[in-house]
Amino acid sequence: MEVGAAPPPFWAGGPAPGQTYIPRALGHTDIAPRGTGTGPAALPAGLTLSPMVTGTSVLGLKFSGGVMLAADTVGSFGSLARFRGISRLLKVNDSTVLGASGDLADFQHLRQLLEQMVIDEELLGDGHSYSPRALHSWLTRVLYNRRSKINPLWNTVLIAGVYGGESFLGYVDMLGVAYEAPSLATGFGAYLAQPLLRAELERDRDRLPTREEARELLERCLKVLYYRDARSFNRYEVATVTEKGVELEGPLTLEANWDIAHVV
Amino acid sequence: EWTAEPVSTGTTIMAVEFDGGVVIGADSRTTTGAYIANRVTDKLTPVHDRIFCCRSGSAADTQAVADAVAYQLAFHSVELEEPPRVRTAARLFQQSCYRYREELSAGIIVAGWDPRRGGQVYVVPMGGLLLRQPFAVGGSGSSYIYGFLDATFQPGMSRSQCQEFVARGLALAMVRDGSSGGVIRLAAITEEGVERTVLAGSDLP
Repeated sequence: MEVGAAPPPFWAGGPAPGQTYIPRALGHTDIAPRGTGTGPAALPAGLTLSPMVTGTSVLGLKFSGGVMLAADTVGSFGSLARFRGISRLLKVNDSTVLGASGDLADFQHLRQLLEQMVIDEELLGDGHSYSPRALHSWLTRVLYNRRSKINPLWNTVLIAGVYGGESFLGYVDMLGVAYEAPSLATGFGAYLAQPLLRAELERDRDRLPTREEARELLERCLKVLYYRDARSFNRYEVATVTEKGVELEGPLTLEANWDIAHVV
Repeated sequence: EWTAEPVSTGTTIMAVEFDGGVVIGADSRTTTGAYIANRVTDKLTPVHDRIFCCRSGSAADTQAVADAVAYQLAFHSVELEEPPRVRTAARLFQQSCYRYREELSAGIIVAGWDPRRGGQVYVVPMGGLLLRQPFAVGGSGSSYIYGFLDATFQPGMSRSQCQEFVARGLALAMVRDGSSGGVIRLAAITEEGVERTVLAGSDLP
């Protein structure tokens, strides 16, 4: 050991204050920094400790007749808007769509899992398909278990669907936190868009917005996010689920209003 | 101190699709810290007859993954009894890069020609995402040329236009990025084969 090197940890192989504790069961007590790749290769496959290419907010809103999700189409590499044509909304089956924010490589992995699940289900040919609520429950279990093994899928997911005449909108994040609500948003949207969505819903508690009102509200929220979220983009997609099925629209472009620039 | 730094292909790499094939290009500098370990590196690595990968990130990591993928592809194409698809090669890269994402430092562009879909460019950035794009750029030097590429790229360019586009982009990046430099290695991959060129010194745009 060189002179002046830090003393060895207080106890070997245990938690250190302020550091992420990776249990010995995973084979490493301190993760080797990226790029050096030394030591026994005992990290679990697909371990995500830091998101790389990420997606920003996803918005969800129930309306009378169904549910709607909206998300922009950019994958950010840190602050760089690197991939500008990525779809973050996934049609799972005719009654459900899923929108993801967070690490997009993990989302692609999730997409593959889901697509295979849906194919297996169709092969059974019993006329049943996954309900949005079932998918939400499954996803909660998967994400929570991954989190408990300190190997998360670094995503926050909104699941929207219509099944048996009832509409469903649910949220699951990388920790396995899950809940349902008539309006939801992930990421920045939770701070900027959710209040707008809730204000609209609470304005008239007797009824849900119509499809056109919901669409217009989501676009307004996306515009606000484009103004105020530095990782957003002005191209977006919208997925609408009704009794009739899933419609995926996009990529569409937002018109931004910069008139105030002349007033200031 | 440079002996403690990992060997990395701090790089600029580019690939563009055209009708009938792809043009790929890279600089030729490999660095350990600030020392240039190899000034004539070849970062365009064949993984099959008509499929190449452009490597950026850790030199060791990318060489190891590329060797593994080349082996898998060779096996696969013997079983298939036809040239493998570029998408298959890209998917193989993605599987390794996603599985070992916390241990690897690898940003890879897979580009080539196959009989089914013609020229294709796929990008597998750090993290293990797989995406097809009409053109792709990667490596540390890429940051400096996003503006140039966005302004200059036109869909539907011809082969020679693509070569000029790649050469100009790489030259601009190499000037500004300390981790990129040396010569420009270009390759055009089509049904007929792979044509490699080197642009050095005064040939640089």
